[in-house]
Amino acid sequence: MSRTQNSIGTWIGWTFFADLANGLALTFGYMFSRSVTMQYPDKEKWLPYSRYRGHHFLKRDEEGEIKCVACELCARICPCYCIEVVPYEDEKGNRRPLKFEIDTARCLFCGLCEDACPADAIALGQQYEFSSFSSRDLVIGRDDLLAKPGKAAMGGGVVAARLDTKKDVLVETSETRGYNWWRNIRRT
Amino acid sequence: MELVVALGLIVFKVALLIAFLLLLPLPLTWVERKIAGHIQQRLGPMRVGWHGLLQPVADGIKLLTKEDHIPAEADHFLFKLAPILALAPPFVVFVAIPFGESVSVLGNEITLYVSNMNVALLFVFAVIGLEVYGVIFGGWAANSKYAVLGSLRTCAQMISYEIPMGFAVIGVVMLAQSMSLLDIVRAQADVWNIVYQPIGFFVFFVAGLAEAQRIPFDLAEAEGDLGAGFHTEYSGIRFAFFMVSEYVIMLLVSVLAVILFFGGWNGVLVPLPPLLWFALKVAFFVYLFMWFRFTFPRYRYDQLMAIGWKVLLPLSMANIIITGIAFS
Ligand code: SF4
Ligand code: SF4
Repeated sequence: MSRTQNSIGTWIGWTFFADLANGLALTFGYMFSRSVTMQYPDKEKWLPYSRYRGHHFLKRDEEGEIKCVACELCARICPCYCIEVVPYEDEKGNRRPLKFEIDTARCLFCGLCEDACPADAIALGQQYEFSSFSSRDLVIGRDDLLAKPGKAAMGGGVVAARLDTKKDVLVETSETRGYNWWRNIRRT
Repeated sequence: MELVVALGLIVFKVALLIAFLLLLPLPLTWVERKIAGHIQQRLGPMRVGWHGLLQPVADGIKLLTKEDHIPAEADHFLFKLAPILALAPPFVVFVAIPFGESVSVLGNEITLYVSNMNVALLFVFAVIGLEVYGVIFGGWAANSKYAVLGSLRTCAQMISYEIPMGFAVIGVVMLAQSMSLLDIVRAQADVWNIVYQPIGFFVFFVAGLAEAQRIPFDLAEAEGDLGAGFHTEYSGIRFAFFMVSEYVIMLLVSVLAVILFFGGWNGVLVPLPPLLWFALKVAFFVYLFMWFRFTFPRYRYDQLMAIGWKVLLPLSMANIIITGIAFS
């Protein structure tokens, strides 16, 4: 009995376009909900989690010496052969890299170099804004790698950004970690 | 002297109308993209000008400076003719559309319409039907399978919606005892036609959606399955012609819906200037079109024909009969 009522109700609904009206009401509701767009790079940008594999950087030890021992393991394991290490012996008699170049144009950011390194000298940071008009600029040398920002303690937040990347874009973050993507997405 | 003034006035009105209609798609594309964005929880264009207000201008400049490409195997004559055929009729139709009674400027009464034809409604439907040729020729001349499929669908679509659309307005004509759009609006001074003609309005609106080739009936340019349908091969300024034509037709269907069923410039409750009432109502319908576009999926074209022949046509005939019995 309820079934017939149901089907009659459905038919009445169809006659008055209940389903179409439902859809319209839903989209109307969405129209006045907050948007989830992140206006990168005009206003804000996404700071990745620390597990993110971005631009490489070389670490220093406590004395401020480069950690790398120029064992070339990273160059060996690299699937793209994009690391080039030339060792030399410094004043203290330690084996250090004279030349350490990563061709980030060819790098696939697999992170294997980080895993292979026995001295914990190389790692992939969170920086992802290093596009360039020339692929030659993408070959990064030792000193540049040492100067690159290391891993940030926080991640997953939204920080303010400016269009002009020449200036310092990282501003103190309002929302340090775990930006809630679902916050503005209504699920009904 | 009298004649010169009258002629000059008409030329001025036509020029104003053309400029208005040519420029209107600019804000309309912006509005449409904003509505699309916000319905999908995006922001829409934001970067050119304040909240992307200059985006349509940027798009326009881009379209004007793009290469005007004609495929090697295309039928050159038809290919060049089609955008003009698509663009001209919607503009011509507006000659017969009244925007209000009259305003007095410097003591002279100036009517807010170019011409008051006694068969305006017939004229509108006859001329607007021509627009379809632009779409058909465009699809055919491009010599591309997607374009041909698009124009085939247009043919099928046209015969299924134009007839119910024509029948749907007969009820209005019966009520006003006139085919002049001016008289039709005057007849609605007290009660809008939507009260007497809900079925007629429904049929007209659904057919109008098909006429304007908007979702849910935008089969001719279904992006999902036909690339861009009939204008797949068009680029640059010719493509812009098709876009402008589409927007002007959307506007036209809104204007017709307002004039035929929603009392034209007759207001209710709030006393606003008639022209403002008219603009508000038209804006509502334009918004409705855009809102529909980002809510509904597209009908298959056999479904469109089924709707046209099996639902809309009987409904519109029933509407004529009911109107005839009730108001004779
Ligand atoms: S991340 Fe992978 S590809 Fe890039 S340098 Fe390291 S090992 Fe090579
Ligand atoms: S970065 Fe690590 S693996 Fe690569 S050469 Fe230096 S110490 Fe060896």
